[in-house]
Amino acid sequence: MLISLNWLRDYLDLPPQLDPRALAERFTRVTAEVDGVHPIEVQARGLIAARVARLSPIDARTNSVTLDVGGGKTVETVSIAADLHPGTQVVFAPIGSHVAALGDIRTAKVAGRTSSGLILPGEALGIEKAFQEAIFLGSEFKPGDLLPADLFDDVIIEVDNKSITHRPDLWGHYGVAREVAAIVRTALKPFPVVPVAELGKNGQSQIPIDIADASACHRYSGLLLEGVPTQPAPLWMQLRLGHVGQRPISGLVDLTNYIMLDLGQPMHAFDAAKVDRIEVDWAKEGEKFATLDGVTRTLASNELMIKCRGKSVALAGVMGGLETEVTESTTSLLLESANFDPATVRRTAKKLGLRSEASARFEKSLDPAHTVLGIQRFIHLARSMYPRLKITSRLSDAYPSPHRPVTVAVKTRHVARALGRPMGADEARRLLQPLGYEVTEDAASWTVHVPSFRATGDCSIEDDIIEELARCSGYDAIAAAMPHVTVRHFPPNPTHRLEHGALQYFTTAHPFCEVFDYIWYDSNWLRQLGIEPGECLELINLAAEGMHRLRKSLMPGMFSALAKNRFHFPSVALVEVGSVFKHRRPDDQEFRHLGLILADHRKRTEDALLQRLKDAITGWTCQQFGCSAVFAEIKPDPGRLWEHPQRTAGVVIQGIDSGRMSVVDVALRRRIDEHLGSWSVAWAELRLSALEELVRRPEPLASLPPHPLVEMDFSILVPKTTRFAELAGHLRELQTPLLRQVRYITSYEGESIGRDRRSLTFRFVLGHEERTLGDSDIASFQDLVVSFVRGRGYELRTG
Amino acid sequence: MDLHQLRERIAQIESEVAASLTKAGSGDAVRGLDNRVLGKEGSLSALITSIKEYPPDQRGQVGKLVNEAKARVKASFEARLAELRAADAQAEASAAGAFDATLPGVAAPMGAVHPVTAVQWEVERLFERLGFTLEAGPEMESEYNNFEALNIPASHPARDMQDTFWLTNGMVLRTHTSPVQHRSMKKFGPPLRVIAPGRCFRYETIDASHENTFHQIEGLLIDRDIGLPHLIALAKMLLTEVMQREVELRVRPGYFPFVEPGLEIDMNCRICGGKGCPTCKNSGWVEVLPAGMVHPNVLRAGSIDPDEWSGFAFGLGLTRLAMMKYGIRDIRVLNSGDLRATVSPVRLGGPIVWEKSA
Repeated sequence: MLISLNWLRDYLDLPPQLDPRALAERFTRVTAEVDGVHPIEVQARGLIAARVARLSPIDARTNSVTLDVGGGKTVETVSIAADLHPGTQVVFAPIGSHVAALGDIRTAKVAGRTSSGLILPGEALGIEKAFQEAIFLGSEFKPGDLLPADLFDDVIIEVDNKSITHRPDLWGHYGVAREVAAIVRTALKPFPVVPVAELGKNGQSQIPIDIADASACHRYSGLLLEGVPTQPAPLWMQLRLGHVGQRPISGLVDLTNYIMLDLGQPMHAFDAAKVDRIEVDWAKEGEKFATLDGVTRTLASNELMIKCRGKSVALAGVMGGLETEVTESTTSLLLESANFDPATVRRTAKKLGLRSEASARFEKSLDPAHTVLGIQRFIHLARSMYPRLKITSRLSDAYPSPHRPVTVAVKTRHVARALGRPMGADEARRLLQPLGYEVTEDAASWTVHVPSFRATGDCSIEDDIIEELARCSGYDAIAAAMPHVTVRHFPPNPTHRLEHGALQYFTTAHPFCEVFDYIWYDSNWLRQLGIEPGECLELINLAAEGMHRLRKSLMPGMFSALAKNRFHFPSVALVEVGSVFKHRRPDDQEFRHLGLILADHRKRTEDALLQRLKDAITGWTCQQFGCSAVFAEIKPDPGRLWEHPQRTAGVVIQGIDSGRMSVVDVALRRRIDEHLGSWSVAWAELRLSALEELVRRPEPLASLPPHPLVEMDFSILVPKTTRFAELAGHLRELQTPLLRQVRYITSYEGESIGRDRRSLTFRFVLGHEERTLGDSDIASFQDLVVSFVRGRGYELRTG
Repeated sequence: MDLHQLRERIAQIESEVAASLTKAGSGDAVRGLDNRVLGKEGSLSALITSIKEYPPDQRGQVGKLVNEAKARVKASFEARLAELRAADAQAEASAAGAFDATLPGVAAPMGAVHPVTAVQWEVERLFERLGFTLEAGPEMESEYNNFEALNIPASHPARDMQDTFWLTNGMVLRTHTSPVQHRSMKKFGPPLRVIAPGRCFRYETIDASHENTFHQIEGLLIDRDIGLPHLIALAKMLLTEVMQREVELRVRPGYFPFVEPGLEIDMNCRICGGKGCPTCKNSGWVEVLPAGMVHPNVLRAGSIDPDEWSGFAFGLGLTRLAMMKYGIRDIRVLNSGDLRATVSPVRLGGPIVWEKSA
């Protein structure tokens, strides 16, 4: 919303040397955010009104124009302005005049002609959006009249629209002026209107208005007028509209736009020859309707229409119809000033892509009192513009269920609670009255009467009044203080504990770097990888083409991060904690996953990387759950290309199936990035959500043994096809009274033990409660291990 | 062996010891020699075992001779050991000039959390110290939790302000962390102190300063007699601690349907020092903390009586804060996975010897 300082000055006295930036800052702190302050400095000198006397075309766009500049003198100029006709008046910059955008005006050669002065385009006058090559003048000036220089300069304050969505009153200058008057503590002048009594005479007829659904149209006011010629609006009005970004169009349109920006009330005019009664009703399903912009639209039955004798003439609150548009031949107007249901207007405007200044205002819940006030204002302004204006009907005003005045009970205790200090009724009154509120007081509470322009939703409860008091007395004035609170025990949140612990561990005990990726798959990326993710939970509105599927795994996204980093680092370790989604009827589910990637630029180090991942995961489970992870043989999922056919393992934590790990095969590595073909890549994906309920096992400490323990390491040679788990299972059977513990130490593969074998080293801890072990104990245990190992077809590695 | 021969034998051993001792270049060699001469079966010790071969009147003399010799040899060993220790010390000392005290340490490869996580943890720790509990909520939320429970009914224009990602199952990707307010009220009831970090999603176009996927941290405090002074005090403390500087606040009205009064809390821009720059949109202030007093409808939706209890809430933009704190100019790098932009260069490789200043 652009606010003209000149416009505000109509309604309150501001010091001439006011610093607009300081005012904007105070407005930001008390009312709504100001996005910018834009001075318009035209520095006009010597601009005059001139009348087109003759036109002779030079080419398709350009005319040589003879202008009557008063006193019987004419000048020749060249212009590309459209719509120039003999008799039209324009803003003219004669030789010797000045505007900031063009400097001093001198004689110039244009298209081979001498141009003595310039028909000024809107742009040179600070009307940036006009794209008009001329500003047309009405009959208020005669040729040769000097145009008042002070009309051209202004300061525009740009208010952030998002910060006033809840304030319908601030969508017009008068409402903003009220707010500014309260801020600078000056009086707000009355809004200049004609009395309602002057809207038509007794005995005149009324336009019949029929509202079918009072919940969709709260109020509809109309008046018939004659004597509104199609001449331009006064220069001051055109300039003000131009300064706040509204292109001047024609006298009537400018006037309705002016009232919209003045009071916030949109208005519409029908050609009264075509619309002589009003019916507000729903559209017929599939009905076709041509709007003012020349487009024919197909409507649904939830579109609210203005109709005349069953025929649609306007999309209520959104746009008028082409057929009933006011044209040059219109002699009689039907002026519409109505109040529509915000949700209805919003739905239609959004659906048809017809967001207009009018619909934007209706969406904010306008004050129904403004329908009539808008007409009163219209007549006030139109009378000064059009001396032949005639009101040819009585005011029609359909207001089926008038809004009740809103009063709010405010407990002084609650005011004191919010502000941190008690506030008296006098102070409240001093703060609220300038904004239109009335306050009456009881012992412990006040009754606040809300003005109608704040009562359409924005201000209905005690807390709304407290906000008014807080912002108007100034947030800066509030003395910060720490609260007095109740100490309370909250059980720790398992999700947080788990995720925080995991991230902390993997980024400090190991060199994993955390990355974030989007939670949707990128179809292009999946295609490149050759991944078909199957059924996914999907988005209706997408961030970008192909990003409709929510991820089921962190891996595809992490591979993309890997591809980005492989060029810059010889090895990459990534961790991500994030949500994945399962499409599962009836209820889709969200899970938290932890992803790990270890990649190294050396080929064929997969197994070592996988082992490092196992080491890291085990370190984490020891820390977080007080136990080691167990790795299980599982079948790779063919739908998950990143699971290697021979090198995929399941991760089991305290008996819970907690995730999977594998290495990426060369084909997929190449598709991730051609250069990764010569790398090794291992990954793990853990289902954190499955582990939330796991309690950390207590880790009782061992008491010191009364007699020394003996540790003996044995390396057992097994065929490569024998699994650790199998051997470990056997070792659990090895029970002798002396054996206290068996630990896994390491595994070894190498030429020295034969290609098809693996050596697994275990540490056996022996001890006795009552005596120190002797040589014979050890020798007999050794024999036991030897026969045990041989008995199961394995061999002990020696040397 | 008579006494004379004994004396000669002792002299011979002593001269052999002296010769060997000069050759002994280490403490171990000296101790070996010690063992061979003075040990149980050492050459000098052996002489005393033959004491019984002497007439009784000479035995005292023999003992004296041998013991005196042992003492002399022992002393020569000690002396030699002392010499060797001195030589060792001197050898080490001579390398002192070559020692470079300034050679840097090279850290073992280390990881790093994402800058947003780093800031998140800072904020979490801070609020945990104040007795707030950490809560979490899902990224896929019901329309009710994301909107209705927060006083944003279906026709409310605010639903456009937070353009929403909709899922085919009728759920939404949460547009803010505020649904956790409602969840926490339902879970715990009053009084309440909650902090809830998380990822949020808005359907908007991405550019250098806008993301459709970003992090917030929600704060909620509900107790008796909570008011604006408390919210402002906590905001000040929060921003001062995270930014590690004295921040100036600008508190102004802001409109969010789930708070009343609603506030925008800005902090002074450090990049331009308040003069105006692109980061602060030339205003000198950066919007970091939308906040306000919890709307009574939100309290009621959480089964809390607004007459008895009051509270404040805020939704700190973690992503924005991380950008301010770490000087990240382009928001897009945060979700890019590019470690060069999200991990401190200090952690990526050896110590930096020289770097072009920014």
